[in-house]
Amino acid sequence: MLELRGIQKRYGGVTALKDGNLSVCPGEVHLLMGENGAGKSTLMKIVAGMVARDGGQMLWQGREVFLRAPAEAARIGIAMVHQESLLAPHLSVAENIYLGREERLPFGWVARRRMLERAARLIREHHFPLQPEWRVGKLSPAGKQLVEICRAIQHGSSLLIFDEPTSSLSGAETEEVFRIVRALRDRGMGVIYITHRLEELRAVGDRVTVLRDGCSISTGPLAEFSTDRLIQDMVGRELVSIYQRESLPPGPELLRVEGLSRAGKLREVSFSLRAGEIVGMAGLIGAGRTELCRAIFGVDPVDAGRIFVEGREVRIRSPREAVAAGIALVTEDRQKTGLALRLPLAQNLTLTNLPSISRFGVLRRGAESRVAADYIARLRIRASSGKQLAGRLSGGNQQKAVIAKWLFRQARIFLFDEPTRGIDVGAKAEVFDVMHELARSGAALLMVSSELPELLQVADRILVMRQGRLTGELPGRTTQEAILRYAALEPENLS
Amino acid sequence: MMQRLLPFLSLIVLFVGLAIASPHFLTDTNLSSVVRQTAVINIMSLGMTVIIIAGGIDLSVGAILAMGGLLGTMAMEKGMSIPAGLLIGILTGLFWGTVNGWLTVKLSINPFIVTLGTLGIARGLALIISNGLPVHRIPPAFSFLGEGNLLGVPFVLWLLVGCALLTHAILEHTRLGRYAFAIGSNAEAAVYAGIPVAFHTTCVYAFGGMLTGLAGMIEASRLMTGQPTAGNGYELQAIAAVVIGGGSLHGGEGSVIGTLIGAFIMGLLSNGSDLLGVSPYLQQAIIGAVIILAVTVDELRKRKLA
Repeated sequence: MLELRGIQKRYGGVTALKDGNLSVCPGEVHLLMGENGAGKSTLMKIVAGMVARDGGQMLWQGREVFLRAPAEAARIGIAMVHQESLLAPHLSVAENIYLGREERLPFGWVARRRMLERAARLIREHHFPLQPEWRVGKLSPAGKQLVEICRAIQHGSSLLIFDEPTSSLSGAETEEVFRIVRALRDRGMGVIYITHRLEELRAVGDRVTVLRDGCSISTGPLAEFSTDRLIQDMVGRELVSIYQRESLPPGPELLRVEGLSRAGKLREVSFSLRAGEIVGMAGLIGAGRTELCRAIFGVDPVDAGRIFVEGREVRIRSPREAVAAGIALVTEDRQKTGLALRLPLAQNLTLTNLPSISRFGVLRRGAESRVAADYIARLRIRASSGKQLAGRLSGGNQQKAVIAKWLFRQARIFLFDEPTRGIDVGAKAEVFDVMHELARSGAALLMVSSELPELLQVADRILVMRQGRLTGELPGRTTQEAILRYAALEPENLS
Repeated sequence: MMQRLLPFLSLIVLFVGLAIASPHFLTDTNLSSVVRQTAVINIMSLGMTVIIIAGGIDLSVGAILAMGGLLGTMAMEKGMSIPAGLLIGILTGLFWGTVNGWLTVKLSINPFIVTLGTLGIARGLALIISNGLPVHRIPPAFSFLGEGNLLGVPFVLWLLVGCALLTHAILEHTRLGRYAFAIGSNAEAAVYAGIPVAFHTTCVYAFGGMLTGLAGMIEASRLMTGQPTAGNGYELQAIAAVVIGGGSLHGGEGSVIGTLIGAFIMGLLSNGSDLLGVSPYLQQAIIGAVIILAVTVDELRKRKLA
């Protein structure tokens, strides 16, 4: 149904696509893979009419088309489900689904009742756990994703593009999205599915195309591709396929949390981190893992509980006090809470510890550029110089920049919340290297992750949370099944 | 780079154009009157630059200016010395700036609303204190501040240069300036980085208020009256100067040199219109159009970069 031949696209001096080839048939899920910057998003934006191509052919149902706007793509039956929510949080589910496509009555009136009914029918048909009148801002990331899907399918599209739909979901919710994708495919729709997660694609894909440096490298039935081959095609070189690290003998206890509680979020959470340790934290979305990090870091107030740093009790009521106690939080959303994207990299790196490079409030610019150069080299941050804007770095390099700024603050306790989210395969290994290096230098690390295989590779031991409680502690060499039992089951059902 | 220089080039083109169009433009009297006229807005805009960089806005500067000028001149009327009066004017500005910053931080309300409120409060209080009447009995020597010359150029030019250098140094070379950029660029990330955001936000508004207090004293000196109604609408001119000079109302962007250029472009437009006999009503429309044009050009530049 869709055929792309030799698609080219340049942004100013940067070539995003050199030779993009892809063909999609009705009733198949076609995986589109590649590292960040490989050109996946650009290729899909061209298909969805969001950007115009500079060269090559796009055939739709055998005829060449040239799309100039998403509305034109929608008209011929192509729709995109976006990765980041492009929803209006203050409007209802139904209003969001039909936003811009409301049925109009005379004098600019909108057929509200009809819209609610149509939304209800659509939601029922697909068995989505939604209500048309719910406010979108109050939905979980998974719920928002479903609204995006509704939006894309409501006007009878025949080709749907999913851009990393599960990157903010976990466990059961991911399964739910897969079920929906498969159901759509079985109705004869074509699906293009962009993903980073190697471990999830077998559950959903039929064929695969790998992009690298703006070119289509390989394509074929998924069954013919081993995971190693996929990684190799994406990265362009052989990679040590699974990251392995050796546990270090744990040192003294750096952080101890006792009975941390917050109404509705955390219940009596107690654990400790030792120097040289990487402790994993597993759980489903909403289990309270992010809330735990925020509570320890002083972002959210707690109702009860005590925190000890190196054996001494500390009172943490704000991130400032947490930072002063030597705690660092590498947040889930580095663009929103980690970096000032419009400021240069160097300024981001030194922000946590300006007093150390200033005298009487006056900055020593020379010291600043030396510090920046030092950390850029140490963490192998790929940037033209410290003057490059943080917003221009790739996801992996942004993550390293966030870590670097905490290193410069000499933090010893690191809370990592989903450290590999949105980072490509090569960069993930580098982030793990940095984490391992931190542990070796005597820091204590807590790593919250929804990617169980990564936790199993990296963590020395794994804590599991469920509904605000710690439900289990497992050794690093455990299995996904064991973790999921603690994460998903009522404690009395655990044998 | 070319487009970054655009505001500067427009200023030069404007300058050369006016020099050709009007024989009265390139005279000492006219040029120093341009400097004197723009100095007040210029100095206010410098403070506004720091506030806007930190992601804030201050709508109350016009009222703060009136309050500063009024209290400063009243002190002199009551027999205090000129420097003491000047100090009182500046401290009045500092006080209101601190109030703005403190309220913004403590109530975590949008500064647009907070300063809209303090605009009304400060203006109302100024009218109550003065009974709505201007202060006239001021020592004649006080006129030196706004009208005097030092080393052949208007004294206010020295003040402006001093304030500009100070503001530039704060923005580029101090912790306060760096934090202002960080808070304006991403306030949440600044909190997570452990920066004392509340304190530095307050400092930023306090600094803006202080410069506004000084501007109020200059205005009072030029008019030789303390007017409770002075500075009406100045806030918009100050904001306009910042955005013409490349400042972003989203925060995180702006510079002293840009703001100075912005303020001088507006000053020249208004001076040139006077010289060329353009109606003052049309002047306002022209300046309005220039604001939109300047910001559009700047947006296009940024979009090209993105």
